[in-house]
Amino acid sequence: MSERTLAELALLPVTLSHHLLLSLSALSSGILICFPLAVLISRVKALQWPALTVASIVQTIPGLALLALMVPLLGQIGFLPAFFALVLYSMLPILHNTLTGILGVDPAVIEAARGIGMTTFQRLSRVELPLAAPVIIAGIRTSTVWVVGTATLATPVGATSLGNHIFSGLQTQNPAAVIVGCLAAAALAVTLDQLIRLLENAARRRSRRAGLAAVAGLLVVLIGGLAPLLSNVRGNGPLTPVVVGAKTFTEQYVLAEFLTLRLRQAGLPALSKMSMGSTILFEALASGQVDCYIDYSGTIWANVMKRSDVQPRAVLLDEMTHWLQANHHVKLLGSLGFENTYALAISEETAAKQKISSLLELSSRAPALRIGSDYEFFGRPEWLALKARYGLRFAEQRTFDPSLMYEAIRTKSVDVISAYSTDGRIVDYKLVVLADPLGALPPYDAVLLLSPDAAKRPELVAALAPVMGAISDRTMREANKMVDMERHSVTEAALFLQEATKTGKAQTQ
Amino acid sequence: MIRLEQVSKVFVESGAPAVQSVTLEVHNGELLGLVGQSGCGKTTTLKMINRLVEPSSGRIVVDGRDIANTDAVELRRGIGYVFQGIGLFPHMTVSENVGIVPKLLQWEPSLIEKRVDELLEMMSLSPHDYRDRMPRELSGGQQQRVGVARALAGRPNIVLMDEPFGALDPVTRDALQFEFKSLQKSLRLTVVMVTHDMTEALLMADRIAVMHMGQLLQLGTPRQLLAHPDHPHVAALLETPRRHAARLEDLLRTRP
Repeated sequence: MSERTLAELALLPVTLSHHLLLSLSALSSGILICFPLAVLISRVKALQWPALTVASIVQTIPGLALLALMVPLLGQIGFLPAFFALVLYSMLPILHNTLTGILGVDPAVIEAARGIGMTTFQRLSRVELPLAAPVIIAGIRTSTVWVVGTATLATPVGATSLGNHIFSGLQTQNPAAVIVGCLAAAALAVTLDQLIRLLENAARRRSRRAGLAAVAGLLVVLIGGLAPLLSNVRGNGPLTPVVVGAKTFTEQYVLAEFLTLRLRQAGLPALSKMSMGSTILFEALASGQVDCYIDYSGTIWANVMKRSDVQPRAVLLDEMTHWLQANHHVKLLGSLGFENTYALAISEETAAKQKISSLLELSSRAPALRIGSDYEFFGRPEWLALKARYGLRFAEQRTFDPSLMYEAIRTKSVDVISAYSTDGRIVDYKLVVLADPLGALPPYDAVLLLSPDAAKRPELVAALAPVMGAISDRTMREANKMVDMERHSVTEAALFLQEATKTGKAQTQ
Repeated sequence: MIRLEQVSKVFVESGAPAVQSVTLEVHNGELLGLVGQSGCGKTTTLKMINRLVEPSSGRIVVDGRDIANTDAVELRRGIGYVFQGIGLFPHMTVSENVGIVPKLLQWEPSLIEKRVDELLEMMSLSPHDYRDRMPRELSGGQQQRVGVARALAGRPNIVLMDEPFGALDPVTRDALQFEFKSLQKSLRLTVVMVTHDMTEALLMADRIAVMHMGQLLQLGTPRQLLAHPDHPHVAALLETPRRHAARLEDLLRTRP
């Protein structure tokens, strides 16, 4: 088994326990809400249609969208938005099956219950619910499988789940990690499904002993799965770790891991929260849910400050530092030394054949070309600025996972891609980065941002300050290439960065 | 004693009256047969006595109290009910089914257990063999024995029966009819039994009330009905048992 796979497996107990806790909380809340609701609508016919329709509509919203929607609604990241989204997601099967189960009880039996003098509540608790139990449990079973599967999507909103393996694996071209995440999620879903099936059968046969056995089995799985979390809570309860955030691409993973290592070496407990959406991450920092992360000056300028003018690098940085402090109490500690700009890249072959070296030349050829990009780019102000400034209009516009985007240009599925200037793959895939002579794009210096609370901790500032100006474009590209092309782990790349900054090899370009 | 005074029932859905101005009295310790064809209003009349159906007008008095002023749940717990198609709770054992009314009345568990065994013995079901069985493991006859035991569990003095023996094979039906009749006599139960089988009513009932299209046509002892049917419809209902009896008598007399 390779080192990367082993590293992934070592993380599994913790991600699994978080995944289980999240799914379990969502499911139990779903049951607590839907059960009384189903009983109510079984009595009040007029409410059946609206309740089931709303639940069905929620079900049609794609899981990732529902999760992402919860972030602005709740104004925070992490467990809560994931929890609320999954509660909503769990509702339909429970609601539907409980209602069907209650309405499916033989009317003759109901009349007998009334006739011998049961109250409405006794009829429900002693006759209708016990008789509906197998159908109700079947609903809970369906819901469990859905929730355990969808919980993998909790990673991008900042909740730890088995999706951590999948998202970082996809990003760092580590199929072993993706497989570990998928298999673990599938195994968890199948195990719970089968145990609940036993419970369902026990209810159907009305066998108390079989029911207890199934419940015991479920408890064993739950306690076993949650054990790492319980011991963890006891282990570092009093010390709140510094939370280092990261967006959804390799460079961010490597930098977050690098910062985490540095903090730990300075004696500060730290952990990284990977794969968060760009705007989600800034909000999380401003509200103190994340303590620090690396952003890029151009991104903050356009997306957070909503500026579209282009300023010289020094002016821009200065203005930004003041603005962040004044508006969000966020401290911009400094630049790391390299720039990761958004750029448009084409293959060397296309560049030579069509004589394109800058965006000006590209604009006239664009109508015959196809452009591919990551999930974010086409929605960003930088793209709008580029389009407006150079009058770019392409034959086709396609969206990819960042790691698949390079494959797309290699296989000639697209002709132009949005690339990051520090990406190790630019060299490997024989691409040319096109110049921006009109200066439509602001500079994208990597800057370290600290949350209002983190900025007040001198030991934290002292641990991170030496990193300023210590990482060059070349060093960063090298670290990225280790993960993306040479199949090293993120940790190895972070260690490389540490070594490079320590020996002072890095040169600012 | 049960007294119905000018009782009518109109169901909102159908609009037509199901029961029209029925007045009758059931004496203590009497088994009253409520006879008529399907849809004549006999089951609706029965259900109004324990408020499973509320009358549209008129008054029903049970043991001196107007039932409109009693708590429906309390009223039902005091009246035994044997359901058409048996109506046992499929998820409960025989003893749980029989003991349900005492349990709702919050008897002591040990007392309930004793009562269940007593009733199973009374219904010729060995408690040892049947107490823990599920209804689906019993034959139709055994199920209805349990149904009768359940109706009697709370020591009611009134029992309502809706086609209690209709789903049973003739031999089982005959045995249960006979057993129940002697039980009713010895316990001095006041019983209203709905049936569409005139022979059953003639053999079991102390008095018979014949209903047709929601109205009470005639009320009398089996002998009175046979001797003086007031109405051609009553006469027609009596025609079948009469013919059967004559033929049987004929067969028995001409034995070689």
